[in-house]
Amino acid sequence: VAQRQRKGSPTKGGGNGVFYAVLAVIAVGGIAAIGYALVGGGSGAAATEMVTDLDVADTRALYDQAVPMRLGPADAPMKIVEFGDYQCPGCAAFSLQVRPQIMSYIESGLAQLVYYDFPLGGGHIHSFLAARATRCAAEQDLPTGDNAYWRYHDKLFQEQSTWSAKRSVADDFVAYGEELGLDGGALEECVNSERYADVVTANKLLGDQLGVRGTPTVLVNNRRIGGQTIQSMGDELLEVLQAAQQERGTGG
Amino acid sequence: MRTVNRMVIATAALLGLFVATYLLLYKLGAFPALICGAGGACETVQASPYAYFLGVPVAAWGTLAYVVMLTVAFLGTQPRFESRPWVGVALLVLTAGAFLFSLYLSFLEEFVIGAWCRWCVVSAILSTIAFLAALPEIGRLRRDPGPSA
Repeated sequence: VAQRQRKGSPTKGGGNGVFYAVLAVIAVGGIAAIGYALVGGGSGAAATEMVTDLDVADTRALYDQAVPMRLGPADAPMKIVEFGDYQCPGCAAFSLQVRPQIMSYIESGLAQLVYYDFPLGGGHIHSFLAARATRCAAEQDLPTGDNAYWRYHDKLFQEQSTWSAKRSVADDFVAYGEELGLDGGALEECVNSERYADVVTANKLLGDQLGVRGTPTVLVNNRRIGGQTIQSMGDELLEVLQAAQQERGTGG
Repeated sequence: MRTVNRMVIATAALLGLFVATYLLLYKLGAFPALICGAGGACETVQASPYAYFLGVPVAAWGTLAYVVMLTVAFLGTQPRFESRPWVGVALLVLTAGAFLFSLYLSFLEEFVIGAWCRWCVVSAILSTIAFLAALPEIGRLRRDPGPSA
């Protein structure tokens, strides 16, 4: 019986041999692919989309997770909250034109700017990555002593029309950091990772919960600043701040 | 070679096993995001309530189904089990079940969730291939209904 089996085995074994080889190749490839994904996925794994495992129902936890970026003293009586998207031209105008006008109020300690990322998604395919990149920049210090986050934030808005239409932007984001004097290697490593995907997602979800529909949405002490144009928003914001300044002056 | 169709099923099941394992690991939190191409629809689908069936992640059902399918199909290629009728019956039942479940999931993706998950589509294609490859088992069962015949 043993001999008959051995005799019969070459043809059958040949067919099965191919089958086993195919299974082995798939098994090795599959295990390697999953292992690769588990260890970090390399540079192709830059998080460019919202994470989905945040509990939206738990508003308190969401609020804790949605860390904003702040400019100005923590004890400033006026909180200017902005929800912004790095591919939104209005947000660029707000950051580059309106913010310089209100800087004196921030520097004097009257106001603090609290910036939440609100990547709109849709056609703004890079705004999530851009928001993550700014958070990456915030990890570093600039040799000049300037605030790396806000310099980088402004840089992305200044260059918005250059990178916004591109297909792939990670390299541009690294180059902008290098232009400012950031460590390009560290920035690249961070951009091409999942880092801050959860924080940026929490920022966006918090905005959703608060009823933010578009960008820039600006609130001063929980009051929404309206306006048809960015300049009219800026004017209204300035009025509110001037009034608060006067009140502070007469009150104190 | 009488068992080529079972080799096809085993191969499809092994591929499906990796797809399901990947989705299951994601569901368990091993990866922050799925490699899914543009759009992020995989995560939309995976985050939907339909990513669970009877309280267990669909990916876990898929992993289990593919493991059983792979085991049965593989055993069915071995001389010892080749002509056992339960192999044919089990393959038909398993692959038909997987095929119908994939149809149901595809229906959900198209009409309820409104997003297609690339990996789920791959799994649906694999389960369709496995089901088609299992069809010759019907003829085999008719010819050779059991050890008594």
